[in-house]
Amino acid sequence: MILTGIILIILTLLGAPLFSIIAAAALLGFYRSGIDLSAVPIEFYRLAEMPILLAIPLFTFAGYLLSESQAASRLVRLTQALLGWIPGGLAIVALLASAFFTALTGATGVTIVALGALLFPALTQAGYRENFSLGLVTTSGSLGLLFAPSVPLILYAVIAQQLGIGKPVSVDDMFLAGILPGLLMLSLLSIWVFWVNRSQPLKVSSLSEAGSAIWKARWEIPLPFIVLGGIYSGYFAVSEAAAVTALYVLIVEVGIYREVPLKQLPRVMREAMVLVGAILIILGLSLASTNYLIDAEVPTKLFALIKSHVSDKLTFLILLNIFLLILGTMLDIFSALVIMVPLLLPIAIGYQIDPVHLGIIFLANMQIGYFTPPVGMNLFIASYRFKKPVMQLYRATLPFFFILLLTVLIITYWPALSLSLPGR
Amino acid sequence: MTTDRDPQGNSRLNRLFQYTLTVEDGLLVIMLSTMIVVASVQILLRNVWGTGLGWADPLLRILVLWVALLGAMVATRENNHITIDILSRYLPRRGKQLSQLITNLFTSIVCGILAFHSARFVIQDYAAEVSAFYAIPAWLFELIIPIGFAVICLRFALHFIAVLRGQLA
Repeated sequence: MILTGIILIILTLLGAPLFSIIAAAALLGFYRSGIDLSAVPIEFYRLAEMPILLAIPLFTFAGYLLSESQAASRLVRLTQALLGWIPGGLAIVALLASAFFTALTGATGVTIVALGALLFPALTQAGYRENFSLGLVTTSGSLGLLFAPSVPLILYAVIAQQLGIGKPVSVDDMFLAGILPGLLMLSLLSIWVFWVNRSQPLKVSSLSEAGSAIWKARWEIPLPFIVLGGIYSGYFAVSEAAAVTALYVLIVEVGIYREVPLKQLPRVMREAMVLVGAILIILGLSLASTNYLIDAEVPTKLFALIKSHVSDKLTFLILLNIFLLILGTMLDIFSALVIMVPLLLPIAIGYQIDPVHLGIIFLANMQIGYFTPPVGMNLFIASYRFKKPVMQLYRATLPFFFILLLTVLIITYWPALSLSLPGR
Repeated sequence: MTTDRDPQGNSRLNRLFQYTLTVEDGLLVIMLSTMIVVASVQILLRNVWGTGLGWADPLLRILVLWVALLGAMVATRENNHITIDILSRYLPRRGKQLSQLITNLFTSIVCGILAFHSARFVIQDYAAEVSAFYAIPAWLFELIIPIGFAVICLRFALHFIAVLRGQLA
């Protein structure tokens, strides 16, 4: 048992696709318990029994299409025209625009590549220090994970529902729970950015520039209202909002702005669906492995083991934060969710932590993990994109890292911040 | 190290191979388009006329399954699966090749086993005449599972052979 576990971990580190590791674990587990191995495809087929999953291909496609168009530059121009008059305004623009963009596209590095490429030169030109700009842009690459309709929020709810323990978690709960913690991150970062750049010369934006920027982006401005308004008002179910978003983005970017030619559309669709396939095959197989874990009472045993060493909730939360922070530097968010949530959730419930709160803690930690040295993924993406040594990025992101670490601690030890909006 | 085409391969076989790739891509595009259209029409019907298509929701759920496997098949073609390669990144060239040999072979075997048991699952449902919705046999929808894993199995076997050849050359 332990030997096969070690072998599987080594194979993972050598670069075997994660889905094959999860599949192997499920197959081995069922085989040892004498269960027919067709249990794995039967569990996998449950991908076709969860209506909410429809939201994942649709939102992913909308995000890909947006990043193929000039939406990023319009977004930057718009926010700059509206917020440019604040000291440190451009930096705050970078934060807000990135958060919005990441919520829609997922933290797959797209934000750094698409938005960062616009923001970094703009920031340095406006006289912000290079390291400050680099750190800001890199940090912004994962900002926004806690806002609807980010796919990790959806995925967490799906996985928690599958476990069927504790208070049920709906996608709407997660969408509501993420708002205040997400805003806390944005505001602390903004305050700091404002403070550091208080002597920055103001860029007075003219009324006509603002008008022109609004006019240029007039088709995209309704988008957040459609997505967020539709979901939060309860007018649309999540997967319906996803369909409307995909259709709307398609009409606007291909039909009205015509920035993605019709001929390119199949390529964009295909690219988006490749990512969706890579996520869903892991999810499908993890349905089987999770089923085995629960059958074998692994989470219960794990809880008993941890409980014998860690008696109180506070110590557990501290350990959880450290663990997730390290995890976040090694695993991308999708794999981390699929592998760790089935193990962590039952333990957390044992310590009387609300599943929704755990989800927010989890994602907030993962968000920092993206740029935690030495191996946070976004550090490498930014280093590659802006042609700067990774060591410089370590230094550049450090102050941002500490601010977000502070917010993660607040989020962790102040459950009401996450739980008050969903009313739990 | 992807082997989309085999340089020494027979050209007709090659063309057939290319053709299947186009079919895969095409199916992905058609399925996503269907999802967008059907889901939007459904919302329109529900909100404006207060009705809905009975077959739309089951169809959409099946499409998710199909997109999952077809997307994963294409991801295999391009070595685009989610991996955690923190170790292999720092290996020297020989070590990297060796680790690719091991992981490709491992994944191919796992997918072979998955394909086999998926096929058994589909045959069971076929024999038991299980129906999904509107008396459409469920096995038709389930068929993508064994096909998908079989194709992924083959592709990883091809990756394995390609690395092996590269190493010998």
